[in-house]
Amino acid sequence: MGRLATDVGGTFTDLVYFDEASNALRVAKTLTTPADPSRGVIEAIDRAGLVAEAATYFVHGGTTVINAITEHNGVKTALVTTRGFRDVLEIGRGNRPDLYNLLFHTPASFVPRALRFEVGGRIGVDGRELEPLNLDDLDGLAASCQREKVAAIAIQLLHSYAFPAHESAAARYLRDRLPRVTVTASHEISREWREYERATTAVLNAYVQPIVQRYFDNLEARLRATGIRCALFAMQSNGGTTTFDWARTHPITLIESGPAAGVNGAALIGAQCREPNVISLDIGGTTAKCSLIEDGEPKVTTGYSLERTRVNPGYPVKVPVIDIVEIGAGGGSIAWLDEANRLSVGPVSAGADPGPASYGLGGIHPTVTDAMLLAGVLDPDDFAGGQIRLSREQAERAFAPLAERLGADTRAAARAVRRVVEANMINALKLVSVQRGYDPREFVLAAFGGGGPMHAAALGRELGVREVIVPRYPGTFSAWGMLATAPRRDIIRTRFLAQDAIGIADIKALFGEMQAEAEGYFASGEAHRAITFSHALELRYVGQEHVVAFPIDLADATIEAILDAFHRAHERTYTFRLPDQPVEFVHFRLTAEAEVPRPRFERLASAAHAAEPKGRRPVDFIDDGVRETLIYARDALPAGFRTAGPLVIEEASATTVVLPGQALAVDELGFLHITEA
Amino acid sequence: MTTAGERVTAEIIGGKLLAIADEMGIVLARSSMSPVIYEVLDFACGICDPNGELIAQSNGITLFTGMFSGQVRFIRRKFGAAIYAGDIFITNDPYEGGTHTADVCIVKPVFADGALVAFAVAVAHWSEIGGKVVGSLSPDSVEIYEEGVRLSGLKLYDRSVCNQAVMDILEANIRMPRLSLGDLNAELAAVRIADERLVEMCARYGRTTLAATFRHIVEASEAISRKAVAAMPDGVYRAEDVIDGDGVHDERIPVCVAVTIAGERMRFDFTGCAAQRAAPINCSRWSLVSAVRTVFKAFAGPHQPSNEGWFRPIEVVVPDGTVFSAVKPAAVGWYFESSCHASELAWKALAPLAPERFSAGSYVSLCGTYIAGRRAGTGEPFVHLEPQHGGWGAGRQRDGASALIALTDGDTYNYSSELIEAKVPLRVHSYGLNVADGSGAGRQRGGYGIVRDYEMLADEGIIYASYGRSIEKPWGVAGGRQGTTNYIELTQRGVHRRVTRTPSTPLHRGDRIRIATGGGGGWGSPLERAPEEVVRDVWNGYVTPAQARDDYAVVVGRNLELDANATAALRAAHGR
Repeated sequence: MGRLATDVGGTFTDLVYFDEASNALRVAKTLTTPADPSRGVIEAIDRAGLVAEAATYFVHGGTTVINAITEHNGVKTALVTTRGFRDVLEIGRGNRPDLYNLLFHTPASFVPRALRFEVGGRIGVDGRELEPLNLDDLDGLAASCQREKVAAIAIQLLHSYAFPAHESAAARYLRDRLPRVTVTASHEISREWREYERATTAVLNAYVQPIVQRYFDNLEARLRATGIRCALFAMQSNGGTTTFDWARTHPITLIESGPAAGVNGAALIGAQCREPNVISLDIGGTTAKCSLIEDGEPKVTTGYSLERTRVNPGYPVKVPVIDIVEIGAGGGSIAWLDEANRLSVGPVSAGADPGPASYGLGGIHPTVTDAMLLAGVLDPDDFAGGQIRLSREQAERAFAPLAERLGADTRAAARAVRRVVEANMINALKLVSVQRGYDPREFVLAAFGGGGPMHAAALGRELGVREVIVPRYPGTFSAWGMLATAPRRDIIRTRFLAQDAIGIADIKALFGEMQAEAEGYFASGEAHRAITFSHALELRYVGQEHVVAFPIDLADATIEAILDAFHRAHERTYTFRLPDQPVEFVHFRLTAEAEVPRPRFERLASAAHAAEPKGRRPVDFIDDGVRETLIYARDALPAGFRTAGPLVIEEASATTVVLPGQALAVDELGFLHITEA
Repeated sequence: MTTAGERVTAEIIGGKLLAIADEMGIVLARSSMSPVIYEVLDFACGICDPNGELIAQSNGITLFTGMFSGQVRFIRRKFGAAIYAGDIFITNDPYEGGTHTADVCIVKPVFADGALVAFAVAVAHWSEIGGKVVGSLSPDSVEIYEEGVRLSGLKLYDRSVCNQAVMDILEANIRMPRLSLGDLNAELAAVRIADERLVEMCARYGRTTLAATFRHIVEASEAISRKAVAAMPDGVYRAEDVIDGDGVHDERIPVCVAVTIAGERMRFDFTGCAAQRAAPINCSRWSLVSAVRTVFKAFAGPHQPSNEGWFRPIEVVVPDGTVFSAVKPAAVGWYFESSCHASELAWKALAPLAPERFSAGSYVSLCGTYIAGRRAGTGEPFVHLEPQHGGWGAGRQRDGASALIALTDGDTYNYSSELIEAKVPLRVHSYGLNVADGSGAGRQRGGYGIVRDYEMLADEGIIYASYGRSIEKPWGVAGGRQGTTNYIELTQRGVHRRVTRTPSTPLHRGDRIRIATGGGGGWGSPLERAPEEVVRDVWNGYVTPAQARDDYAVVVGRNLELDANATAALRAAHGR
């Protein structure tokens, strides 16, 4: 009996297995093969030595979807819109958030104008058919799509958020006509109004669907071949899991799946350490991801926009997503100089193939990992649990041209690369904290991913966080976060109802229907112990567009109590209430979560004697110079162990650095706590 | 600000101030009742120091953010020592720091430990504030008295007590009081949130630290700004332009600027511009200064957050009584139809100095459009006001942006067609790029404007609008061609006519309103455009095969492939 999670990153594939009988955790890490992500998963299962039949739960997540989009590696996609609206995708919302930039451009759309087709037919705002759907138009565009070898089609017709009849009919028609082309109808992904936002969401879903479909088909077949018989789940961006079947047709809901799992895990670290305010830092081979947890709750946003910054509107994706800032800075990030000899690091990564130069797999560019090796932070003979032997010579060779152009030696060049990449990481951390009005001094930094613990001490010092916490198995932590994630389904109904047009019985009946839908959804998966339901309402004053959300206790609810709760929530959010203004009900939200056993860390025994270092070597701490530094094996650190930096702690999936002037304490769960001494 | 610790604190406070300004904007948008605020974001929020200097601003209307200082200073001048904790001021006087009457500014002084530490400011465009026409901006008014209620710096709250008389006057003089007072509530919410947050910050960091940080923010920006000016060659740089009509008369109105750079100073002199008009197209001196600041910021440091420090090196000179410095009682309802030309003049004059930061001419005019009436059945009034997006000029290295909001506005959204159909009795028949009218050809071509087609669904109503750049075309650079113009095409009972600046015109059920905005100017000779790019434009339907041949000397074959030989021959012929 055990629960299995796998997480495919740009560079590594991680596995965590939690044995429910013994409470023991098993972890494994393999290299990702971008062309076939299932390979790393199967290899990890082999390496962990699991009895596949014993798995009672399998959850899978990763960065496949987001990488396909940001690297523009999706399929050739067409868009079908209502006649007169094919340019909406390109126009976007026309805003210039970069106010003083006279060369501003709206981000380019994923479907060129020639592949955006219009279809006759119109449904009005009240749902009446004003003009029937024009099937001849569909025939014509289907022929064009065939000619252009289009692999996926997104359909977005006006008012389909409420009245999807035409959109459904068009989708059915095109699925019949073009059986080898995947078709996404916008209402199948989002039921929110505003045609541009729904169109981009549908287009991005279509753009990756054939890829994800192939990937999940392949993965499922190979998993079954290993003997895994349990239900298979996919990690979603909303912080919950879903079935493989749902994931195949709604791949866009996986857009931040790996990072969301890490954030869930970070919230659990906070709970274990009684620290409700956590900044999570997840550094992998390709990217660094940051998120902020306030009062124990990861922030889920319905206003997600891929690649959005304060000056870039990005691409809106209308699915719930845990709020994350991600930058191209990881172990594999390549350092390079522009024409003016200015040093940059990333966003291009050497990934797993060929990997950093020191892997000796053919990489020739200097990367962050190579810089850490030259600095003495990494041990060439004991990296990734000894799976990879790092070559100092290869790293030196990769850094030589950079050093020459900088007019420095390779050590100085490696220092410069570390400074630049850490400055980039600091900016990302500030984006989720300082720039949103949070003071890092009131937060702890939870660092994980293969690279997080290596940079966290320096980043935490610069940011001024209270302490840095490194959980156990930091290198496979997102996968661990997935094990801690419950299957979840959010169901939303929109009904515009004036306060005197609805009774408490109507509300209960509506939630009852939604609950039945959720139960039906869960019935098809694993036999769960129990499903918990939470209910929330979104109301507004008549005339407003935006709503205020608040939870309700359905069992004891009355209309008066609901209205009172709304007025209070409105005042709390917007400083005022309008007692004489009529109130309108808008959204009814049900969150259904199946209970799962959360993985637990075994407590560490506190040893009678202090831990012995496994060795010592010179390490370059940049500002604090090169110091002879004690090296510890993480497995040898007992609970209650305390010591002063500088030191390096090694384990199979990560290396933790403690700077001179910092103190280390190991708690009873084996988490590392780093504070300024 | 010498120690590292102080610098970190300053940076954190600076970040928090931006976060407060952003939060003000979110609260204002989300609690408001008008589509022009919650959907289009026709507002701006910010924080000023006790002297009225701008310290931090939200994204929003570019032009508004340059106006905060003038309005706060007016309140300080008018009330002197009689500014108390719990006060909230309301002002919309174009002659005292404001833009036009519809832009209502709310100012809340923030006190900590009994001392004034900052002002929180929110300016929003109300859908209606009384006057000659519904929506308040008649394109043919001749005096400000036709443009609704003027509130020249009043206490709306006196030590936390609401001044009900002001509320009653507003309610009695506004056509849709629920809408406008709803937006007033949203603005009040924005300044109250800022007040709460700033008081929290003073408790956390102390008010002297806050004051020191304000100074640091402004001085750091001033230093960058001075350097940017000093890096430019001293000299006088001139530009001229024409405003197409004032709304009452169709005359062409000449305007000009002379920009003098001397060391670290830059002076914008608008002496010589046409006299103020008996029409609403004038702007006040305050709007002129803000319009110049916008372009100067684009020149000196486009990506950093804005504050007063950036603008210390510049001076704006203009005699009273020009179209850019109108005096009482001139109408100024469509001030943005002149101030946009002030921005354009500064832009055109500075462009040769920093070609990497400026593009060719754009569609310029916000093309403000009002469609109003009563709903069938209920008889309830409605007003739809809409700034239009359009084509921007090409840059030195990239084609111009299509369907982007003009410089006067900023983080300003277009309307979702689904939302329009749900909120007002209009059907949207199309919303797309104005490819039919084209854009300025060039090595880099201009971006395209938009076309939006409305059908009136109410029994009757009105439309009025004021579109500039309807005759004078957006300028090209270095051999790039001019862009195209803005207009509305009305179809009523089968009769088509084009209008640009049009006073209130009756509409009936079934009338069609086609809004078309222009394309931007091109950069570089069209003959230098890569033939492959022209072919791609043909494939995408941006350019017709005929335009490819005539404008770019590129010959496209029957299957939309490049005819390389014919193209080479044609280009050679053009070269001779």
